[in-house]
Amino acid sequence: MSVDDAVSDSDRKKNQYSYDRHSAEYRSQFKQITEEMHAKCPMAWTETYGGHWVAAGSHEVFELARCPAVSNDHDLRNERRGYKGISIPTASRVSAVRGGILEMDDPEHRIYRTVLNPYLSPAAVKRWEPFINDITRACLNEKIEQGSIDFVDDLANIVPAVLTLAMLGIPLKKWNMYSEPIHAAVYTPEHSPDIERVTAMHREMGLDMVNSMLEIRENPRPGIVNGLLQMRIDGEPAPDLEILGNLGLVLGGGFDTTTALTAHSLEWLSEHPDKRELLQRNLDTLLDPATEEFLRFFTPAPGDGRTFSDDIEIDGNHFKEGERLWISWAMANRDPAVFADPDKIVLDRKGNRHFSFGIGVHRCVGSNVARTVFKSMLTAVLDRMPDYHTDPDGAVHYESIGVIQGMRHLPATFTPGRKVGADLDETLEKLQRICDEQKLALPVTERKEAAVID
Amino acid sequence: MKVWVDSERCQGHTLCSMIAPDSFQLSDIDGSSSPVNEVVPADKQDQVREAAHSCPEQAILITDET
Repeated sequence: MSVDDAVSDSDRKKNQYSYDRHSAEYRSQFKQITEEMHAKCPMAWTETYGGHWVAAGSHEVFELARCPAVSNDHDLRNERRGYKGISIPTASRVSAVRGGILEMDDPEHRIYRTVLNPYLSPAAVKRWEPFINDITRACLNEKIEQGSIDFVDDLANIVPAVLTLAMLGIPLKKWNMYSEPIHAAVYTPEHSPDIERVTAMHREMGLDMVNSMLEIRENPRPGIVNGLLQMRIDGEPAPDLEILGNLGLVLGGGFDTTTALTAHSLEWLSEHPDKRELLQRNLDTLLDPATEEFLRFFTPAPGDGRTFSDDIEIDGNHFKEGERLWISWAMANRDPAVFADPDKIVLDRKGNRHFSFGIGVHRCVGSNVARTVFKSMLTAVLDRMPDYHTDPDGAVHYESIGVIQGMRHLPATFTPGRKVGADLDETLEKLQRICDEQKLALPVTERKEAAVID
Repeated sequence: MKVWVDSERCQGHTLCSMIAPDSFQLSDIDGSSSPVNEVVPADKQDQVREAAHSCPEQAILITDET
């Protein structure tokens, strides 16, 4: 490196900001750090995790997330340019498989996404609404007579898990085998004494995923697994590892994120009884905007890593090929340039073009699932447990918010009510039968009708 | 008022049809949006403006010519 290069390099990275996104301090000081970065360096260089850029401003995030010189690729076997995908630092657990379409660039990304879309589009998800509402109903049944519930363990961990398995074509009764390791892997640090148990559960789940794939290859049945098995790329089936990567993405993306959104929203509504009453009384007009506002404010998936695939200049910043970048959806969501009073939850916020599902070609493929499942759980709780009160001493937030801004527990009490219909186990058996009989997991291109629950 | 959706930019966030359900239709297959009619009736113009404002990809174009 010449002296000139060295000077220009330090000049390029002159807007430095030192912070550790995975530390507990980042969680407790998120507002202050965000305000400081917006004011001083909406595009900053940070030395943590081997050094990388951080896009914190809404404009910077908007431009970079849609920039053709920015790559999502995770090149595990160093066959292309050795890029490291969307995790910073690279997670040690995911060394064998890349993260599905989220760690691919076009045109490869588009080929797989085209397979997933007709299972997850707004019209496709709408068909599942009666099914989703029935799982929610059954979960609340389990707790409604005793007057106490943990909204994470007893509701928000279950509904997204059961639905995701149904869409994949994996038996619903296995929901716990999938839900627990995914949830626990996010909140258990690698140095935790519990990590062995979590890793063992993860292994069991991974094995079941492989077995499900092999089983469905032998005996096809409707669902995303089958869609990925049937797809052809230049006449050839997709490689098993890429199928598994995409299954992992659907599972990982579908579970803990919606759980996090639901728990945080229910907690906030308990702490703001006037707003809860307002929402309860105006669900028909407020449910949609309130959902978007909770998404903006709580941003369950706070950001994604990328790699510059070319030397490029944007707004006077010079980026070099190979440099890593963190795109902070969470910080962009608090940018006062786009969102007035960004730290306030405004249930009927206007112009709420939030970044919580990402933007650009990698917009969360499960966004319609997330919204629908969240709305089902929220409305059912407001309807059947209208006076619920969450317990601040029992609520457990994730220690750090580097991967998911989630919650481990959210206990609540409420005036007991009556059961409606069957309990969870019986309901899961019934829903499995309905799933099979009505072939609910077919893509919307092959089945348009909504589920009919008997 | 006229409205267009830039299909290169639209990524199927669905906010436009949530805000202005009579003015935008979504593809069954991937949720990408298109206007129901290019010309926006007077009583839908506020909704369409709000939809354009709320588009995460800034993919909705409107002109105020009638």
